[in-house]
Amino acid sequence: MDSEKKKFMKKSEIFTFGIGLFGVALLTGWMPDYTQTFFADFAFKGKGFDSSVISSSISTVFLVAGIIGAVMELITGFLIDNTRTKLGKVKPWIGFGAGPLAVIAMLVFVAPNTNNQTFAIIWMYVVYSLYTTIGCAVERPAECFGALCSPEPGERSSAISIASFMKSVGQSGGMVVVMVVGILMKAFMGQQQFKNAEAQGLDLIISTAICALGFIIFVMIFFINNKERVPFTREKVSLKDAVKVVFTNKNLLMVSLTKLTGFGRGVYGTVSLYIAIYLLGSKDLKLALLLPMGIGTAVGTLLVNFVLKKFSTKQTFIIFCVYGASTLAILYFVATGIGFRSELIVPFLILNFFCGIQHGNTNVTPNIMIADCVDEIEWKTGKRQEGTAYAGYGLFAKVASACTKALGPWLLYTWSGYLVSTDANVAYAPQSNPTLNKFLMIYTIIPAVFVLLQGAPILFYDMVGEKKERIVKELMERRAQTDETQGDEITASAGENN
Amino acid sequence: MADNKKEFNTKIYGIFAIIIVAAVLVALTLFAYTSRYTALSPEKTARLYVDTIVQSGDGYSAYKNSLLSYEGKFGDFIRKNYIYPEIYENYKPGDSTKGLKGLNDKELKGEKTLNDDGSLQGKVTDRMYGCFLDLVRENNGFDNYDAIFKAYISELKKVRKEIFEDDYFDDEAFFTAFEANLSKYGESLTGCEDEFDKNTGIQIKEAVKGVYQTAFGDEYEIKTEIVSVKDADIPDTSEYGIDAGIDEAKTVTLKVTAANTTVIDGIDITVVRIGHSWYVANKSCDTSALYKFYNDEV
Repeated sequence: MDSEKKKFMKKSEIFTFGIGLFGVALLTGWMPDYTQTFFADFAFKGKGFDSSVISSSISTVFLVAGIIGAVMELITGFLIDNTRTKLGKVKPWIGFGAGPLAVIAMLVFVAPNTNNQTFAIIWMYVVYSLYTTIGCAVERPAECFGALCSPEPGERSSAISIASFMKSVGQSGGMVVVMVVGILMKAFMGQQQFKNAEAQGLDLIISTAICALGFIIFVMIFFINNKERVPFTREKVSLKDAVKVVFTNKNLLMVSLTKLTGFGRGVYGTVSLYIAIYLLGSKDLKLALLLPMGIGTAVGTLLVNFVLKKFSTKQTFIIFCVYGASTLAILYFVATGIGFRSELIVPFLILNFFCGIQHGNTNVTPNIMIADCVDEIEWKTGKRQEGTAYAGYGLFAKVASACTKALGPWLLYTWSGYLVSTDANVAYAPQSNPTLNKFLMIYTIIPAVFVLLQGAPILFYDMVGEKKERIVKELMERRAQTDETQGDEITASAGENN
Repeated sequence: MADNKKEFNTKIYGIFAIIIVAAVLVALTLFAYTSRYTALSPEKTARLYVDTIVQSGDGYSAYKNSLLSYEGKFGDFIRKNYIYPEIYENYKPGDSTKGLKGLNDKELKGEKTLNDDGSLQGKVTDRMYGCFLDLVRENNGFDNYDAIFKAYISELKKVRKEIFEDDYFDDEAFFTAFEANLSKYGESLTGCEDEFDKNTGIQIKEAVKGVYQTAFGDEYEIKTEIVSVKDADIPDTSEYGIDAGIDEAKTVTLKVTAANTTVIDGIDITVVRIGHSWYVANKSCDTSALYKFYNDEV
């Protein structure tokens, strides 16, 4: 029998792992954007607060929460690696953190009835920082679970791939929830009463409650049905070990670096509104623009699983990077070559779908690679450090996200030569052709360059092929030996007691 | 030796966690809903009505909490009763507009309408502001909405035709101009600060000192307080063109203070309950004082 191909997970476990990540993404995908909207437009509506002070405070609230989140990434990772319970090392964090997270997420949308602006600002800092802290302590372990669901890399990859797909679906789930809540509220309250309730942010409050309820139900289904199948190592992990692993394990570092070298991939999001307005003809087409890309991403997430059956993780990652850069370049050359005409919107959107496929790779493959790196780290040091490995990757992702948020607006408002409308009656001023061309570059060519750069560190990644097989085999042998030794110790100890 | 230690029961824990969290979520949602949604309380409904007017002269938005909005959006009320009769020949409020051809037919759009980037619409809005101000002043506010909408739409059609040089007219033309005029009127009362584009830093609006600031000081604060709540006679719903029966009616008396000085001693607002929601019976209310209280101070 080929022990490496042995199935460790029940079929239902693969599905409920996905359900769990779907639940987590349903809440964590909903929170940041809608919290910002709630704080800015609804939380203290009619209180007479200085809107400029409130909006600058909101930016700082999110900055502080980002820093707290980055620190919490490492702390959570370190704590996970030192957790040893009968339930495992990751499951307790998810199971016992889910309740508090659902409640604190809801509390973010229950603003205090105060006329004191300072108190209101302090409340925003406290409640959102708390949410970020508890969020990290649940979201990170949930992602780590992939590395622990099965010791067999093939089975583990399939589970991670399916769970990543469900996670990416869950991230957009909130948008569906708020839409359905709106339809139901209109039906029950009438059109104008709904508008009045919407003006108070009540649709957001109800949607948050539904997302939080969905979150706790889906996470508990996962918590009940799934088991950690990779035994944790007994050695204590020090803080020094944790930091060292993040920055000195070559393969893990390379996977994490893909986030930094590819940070500009996301700048297309900044310009999408302007592509819709100036090149497609209506700001309403922004959704139409991003929807095919979103569908492409979901399809890509599933597609990766099939590619991984033929190619290694390294090859898969590079194939998708080359493919992604190519589709973006084709979109640029087609758009500039033929020019923007309203009758070409459909082909343009179809090309957007193909551009979206590459994002499936970044959703799945790094998670599988990190799980492989955790095996390598255990093989080298004798310590299994899922928590730290995923936390390190999460930390790099947060830094990269901050860089994207800085680069996108700079490219759009400074580099492109964007002209703002100074006429109160004209929403969007006419732009010159070079500016429009730069908009298109921000949407296509610039992300394409970063997609290629993202693949560069993976050229140095070597946890594949014979090396990977050897490490997995040796780890399984070691674990079998440990089980035998522990069995002997228990028998001896039982004999002494008798 | 048998292991006597009981294993942690994840099933029981999971079910309990779901029930407890669901209960907390329901409680928090109900708390947030009842404390924010004004239509569940007669006092909050009346206060919101007065506050909307007194803070920025916006009697138009105040109607969104009145019986005029019971059966649909206030915008639809205006469409059915004032705009569609101007667009479609022989249209009567309540008729369906499906299949009707009128002034909103795309074929009536002239070159200027088709190519406008907002500049010509801006000219229409600017021209209409004088008409808007005259109507608000002549009618002492928005209580006589019927006269205001009829006169405004009639003038708007003429101005639009003159500037765009075509007969095209739709509901958007009304809402764009009227809401822009309303916003400018509000700023003339409250004042506004310099506004800069957040991305480029270019100034897009200049500061204006408002009438309220002149009357009550730059840091003025206008507050509304409930003085009393009494039972009232139930108004006739046929006046509003609605079929629903009113369950209860109350008169809420409010006081308005500006810069800690009482500027209106008592203003009566009649509110009615239909089902669980309260609405302002606007035809039983006289809000003209809310558009005058600052005149003596200026």
